[in-house]
Amino acid sequence: MIKNIYVIAEQRKGSLRDITWEAVAAGKKLATDLGAELTCVLLCGKGGLIAEQLAVEVPKVLLVENPVFESTNSEAVISTLKELIKPQGSYLVVMGASNSTLDFAPGLSVALDAALATDCFSLEVKDGRLLASRQIYSYKINSVVSFKNSDRVVLTLRAGSFQFSPAGEAKGTITNEPCPIDESKLRKRFIKYVEAEKGDVDVASADIIVSIGRGIGDEPDLEMFQSLADTMGGVLACSRPIVDKNLLPKYHQVGTSGIEVKPKVYLALGISGAFQHLGGIKGSPLLIAVNKDARAPIFRVANYGIVGDLNEVVPALEEKIKSLKG
Amino acid sequence: MDILKPADTPLLGIPAPVIALCVLVLAAIFFSYVMYKRIDLMRKAAPDPRFSNIPARVWRALLYGFGQWRQPRYLGAGILHILLFAGFMILSLRSLTLIGRGFSSTFHLPFLTGPIGFAYESLKDYTVLVVLIVCVIAILRRAIFHPSRYQHPGVPGHEYEAYVILGLVAALMVTDMVHDGSLFKLESVPGAYHWFPAAAFASLFMPSHDSSVLNALHVGGYWAHILVFFGLLNYLPISKHFHVITAIPNVYFSNLNRGAIKPVRYGVEDWMTLDQCGVSDLTSFTWKHILDFYSCADCGRCTDNCPANAVGRTLSPKMISVKARDYAYENYPIFGKAHSGGSENKKLVGDIITESEIWACTTCGACEAECPIFIEYIDKIVDMRRYLIDRGEIPQSLQKPLQQIKKKGNAYGAMKSKRAAWAKGLEDAEVRILSEGESCDLLFFVDSCGSFDPRIQEISKSFAKIMSRNNLDFAILGQDENDSGNEVRRLGEEGLFEQVSAKNIEAFKSRNFNEIVSFDPHALNAIRNDYPETFPVIHSSQLISRLLNRKTMSLNRDWVGDRVVTYHDPCYLGRHNGVYDEPRDVLKSIPGIKYKEMERSFSRSFCCSGGGLLLWYENEDEKERMGEVRVRMAAEVGAQVIVTACPFCLINLEDAIKTTGNEGKIEVIDLIELVDRSMS
Amino acid sequence: MNIIVCMKWIPDTSEADLTVAAGAKDIKKDDLDHDINDWDRFAVEEAVQIKEKVGGKVTVVCVAPEDSEETLRECLARGADEAFQVWSDEMEGGDGYCTASILAKFIKNRDFDLVLTGTLAEDDGAGQVGGMLAAMLDIPSSTLVSKIEIHDKKASFLRELEGGLYESVETDIPCLISVATGLNEPRFVSIRAVRKVASIDIPNMGIEELGMDAGQVGQAGARLVMEEVSLPPEGEGAEIIAGKPEESAARLAEILKEKGALG
Repeated sequence: MIKNIYVIAEQRKGSLRDITWEAVAAGKKLATDLGAELTCVLLCGKGGLIAEQLAVEVPKVLLVENPVFESTNSEAVISTLKELIKPQGSYLVVMGASNSTLDFAPGLSVALDAALATDCFSLEVKDGRLLASRQIYSYKINSVVSFKNSDRVVLTLRAGSFQFSPAGEAKGTITNEPCPIDESKLRKRFIKYVEAEKGDVDVASADIIVSIGRGIGDEPDLEMFQSLADTMGGVLACSRPIVDKNLLPKYHQVGTSGIEVKPKVYLALGISGAFQHLGGIKGSPLLIAVNKDARAPIFRVANYGIVGDLNEVVPALEEKIKSLKG
Repeated sequence: MDILKPADTPLLGIPAPVIALCVLVLAAIFFSYVMYKRIDLMRKAAPDPRFSNIPARVWRALLYGFGQWRQPRYLGAGILHILLFAGFMILSLRSLTLIGRGFSSTFHLPFLTGPIGFAYESLKDYTVLVVLIVCVIAILRRAIFHPSRYQHPGVPGHEYEAYVILGLVAALMVTDMVHDGSLFKLESVPGAYHWFPAAAFASLFMPSHDSSVLNALHVGGYWAHILVFFGLLNYLPISKHFHVITAIPNVYFSNLNRGAIKPVRYGVEDWMTLDQCGVSDLTSFTWKHILDFYSCADCGRCTDNCPANAVGRTLSPKMISVKARDYAYENYPIFGKAHSGGSENKKLVGDIITESEIWACTTCGACEAECPIFIEYIDKIVDMRRYLIDRGEIPQSLQKPLQQIKKKGNAYGAMKSKRAAWAKGLEDAEVRILSEGESCDLLFFVDSCGSFDPRIQEISKSFAKIMSRNNLDFAILGQDENDSGNEVRRLGEEGLFEQVSAKNIEAFKSRNFNEIVSFDPHALNAIRNDYPETFPVIHSSQLISRLLNRKTMSLNRDWVGDRVVTYHDPCYLGRHNGVYDEPRDVLKSIPGIKYKEMERSFSRSFCCSGGGLLLWYENEDEKERMGEVRVRMAAEVGAQVIVTACPFCLINLEDAIKTTGNEGKIEVIDLIELVDRSMS
Repeated sequence: MNIIVCMKWIPDTSEADLTVAAGAKDIKKDDLDHDINDWDRFAVEEAVQIKEKVGGKVTVVCVAPEDSEETLRECLARGADEAFQVWSDEMEGGDGYCTASILAKFIKNRDFDLVLTGTLAEDDGAGQVGGMLAAMLDIPSSTLVSKIEIHDKKASFLRELEGGLYESVETDIPCLISVATGLNEPRFVSIRAVRKVASIDIPNMGIEELGMDAGQVGQAGARLVMEEVSLPPEGEGAEIIAGKPEESAARLAEILKEKGALG
């Protein structure tokens, strides 16, 4: 049976990323269910402060400090984690599914001789067996997998799937571990961060998109929509007529001739659902449509719909979201 | 008074016939050489069998060539051109006569003697005056009004040509008038000015009665006329006015296969094995297409009617001809060796004619319907697309629908098995799926949009209902139906067209039916004009018209009411297949309908932009959408209902109603839906 | 530059109504068309573009049954020089780890500078084979790569992070690069282009040729066990939230919160 659960903390530019807390939440739950010991591993350039943040929530933090960890260099991460974890023989390694962990989790699973399940949205321990739920076939199908050898498993967890509520009483220990990396021998080198050159928003990689179409009317209140997007932590996008009317620049346009997006939530406001537009929405986001035309084709593909006037629905929605977010 | 005849007057001691012979021989040699060079390029070009069906060709040449039938589509310019052309015809005999008179002062054409000769002389004199006036009007019209269709955006240095030509023609007239005016004065026959107004008019300006001056003008006018004549003749093949020579052959050899696209290469069994597919350079065009380039007179009627051009896309049909001709003249020069790419090593397809022009075309055919001399554009565009497709260069947004058609037989990416899903469980109709070996009267070809587009499925349902109500024995192919391939072919993916058409043909041949019927003019066009085997196929509007004529059904005004109705001619129904009347007949059978025609209707209909799979293609250059322009045209005549008979038109126009703020004011409906809602 | 591209051949589920097959271990695939995984299409295109720039050879390999040949041929039409279809019946039911092991065996004995894959496959969406394969081959790897430049013995590129941030990274060659979609504009492959490469042989390799045994592949070699697949609960079309604007907006906000969309 698994005795050790390792949660891999994720930091960027010296700050913890939110998804780490979801991994901590999942790790805690599994530790209870499996009767295992929870350890959080933090690799970073200079990590004292973050390690203390973690120690408030987990009993044990392993901290490895090295300038190479100022970015997530997958080669360095894999070697270091292998060194730390593999000697235990049996382990469950848990981390958030992000573009950074995507870069090292598969390699790590090989290095640890472990099974890998990525992007899990639910975990369960049933009769002592670990079951992970994932979505397959472009998110259209749910699957449940188990592990042939439950002693060595690596899991990455889908953001937004595991609820974390801060307990803040762990008083965990922080142990500094030596870094086994000889930086000069690395075959992969981080150079620098680059901000995308694409105007002031990046619609393409946004997780939450508030998108407006011609149904917003001839004299729309763009501020209102922008404000909703800001409140939701998303970006404002649009369909082609909005660009045609010069209401938003071209790099906001979603569609076959605009930008292809793969958001988690797509809120379509006043968008009728021409296929040139829908063609730009990839994956299966949570698609919500608000339109005054009950027959708009968008309702055929949306998960949820509101038939109504945007000028009434949008402010009400923003207010409610604000209150829910506290 | 003594009259000196040119033939009898030596110049600088050289006998006139010698000079005449020299001028004639030199001009003929140069002209033949230039023509050889021009024809040489045509000989290097791809084959094109345009020699069959001679009666139809002769008729075309008579009607549209000599008859100038399309000229009055632009009334003012058309009349001017007809006058000029008629003048040229009449004066050609005069020119021959004058050439002869360099050799013998009494030369005349065999049949132009006696009273006929006199009548011709008189007619000629009136003609000279008319042509001169037309030239002056034409020059002033250009100089003062600068009509936009005569401009050459991006290719400077062309406008002057028209002035050169008009000037030369005017000079031809003036020199003739000097030649004859001086004679008129020398002979001074009383009352003759009735018969010879041009000569009489010219004589008014003759300075004196001194016979030596008048004789000098007579002889000088003659030689000036001869020189201008041969100068003009030799200028034609090196300028845009080559059309004076090539236009009638161009009409004679014009395309008789309306609606069809040419094969990749004529006379080749398996085009797939060719080194190159499509057109990349001059010589991969067919010889007729080269002749098209030579023949373009830069009149700009094509571009003036091009919907892509009207909304700001980079395409201008005229400029394709102009640029290709310039390229031909530069790379296949009169003197020196032919080379490819010119001084800057530019490629014809890609550099000179850009990809954005090539993909902007909706293949609506407005340009071809307008060209007075039948210059073809669609085949050229498709040939250039074939080349780009062969190199994999096609806008990303068009790749997906093509891939979907390849994998699933429809551009929507829907599963084959769902092709007949729309037909299940209809309240008012039972739609039979025709299996192999079974029979029906009417085979309803639904095509991809009618099968999968939720909006167009409504038309499919209405049509099924109409046919059921009329107890017609109809059926559909279900999942054995494939995309008709009309757009695929026009996008230049010939291999895929062959694939889908072959599947449809196989499906047709394994079933028995009397007629195919489709409400999609694109499908109609492909089956009728593109498919290598012949199947009887009609458009739904023709079927409805038939039912109305048989009085098996009638329409009422319940749905239309008092609203003003107009009809939008779909390109592939009207221009490409000549179905203009039946849809109107159906509408006009509604008692008391308020029907109004848009200004652009029949063969001048304005494309909605849906052709050639371009429904999937969003052009970056356009400033507005064609559908929007069209909706405004309907609004101009006060239409409240736009009826169309093509699913692509319906999609684009419905969209445009919203974007032009006409929601609630104008409604767009397919003819079939209108019939469904108006059946008594 | 010798480039090996690993291509996955997957069912196209984008427009299909999926149903669960008997036994609930997978979906019914009989009706589905199969095609190249879209991410891998960009990988093949990138490989061909690199070859066109610096010369070399592009080899495409796909672990899939015989029917994948048509798709492999499209890769040849796109400009790949050779293609291999790797399959034995024993491979049925394998997971990403098996696929990576098979590919590692295939690649190990070949001369290569670059291995390209797509970052994800749209069927299982795991994004694992590239990283596992690189670890097995002991070469550096990177995922979500959106721009590649090849220098002498070095590859430099951009990796997508979240929120419009990229990281510029370089690795020694040989290396494995898993590309993001959109890093190039894949060329169109016409019917004629496929016809032109019709005579190129696409060899099949099985476990014997690879020197593997049945225990390493298929269900026997897999590390994951599929317990069950199911359709997520979903209604026909949108669930319309009725009520006054304030009420429906409030309900929507709650739904967003439930779905974890409010961060």
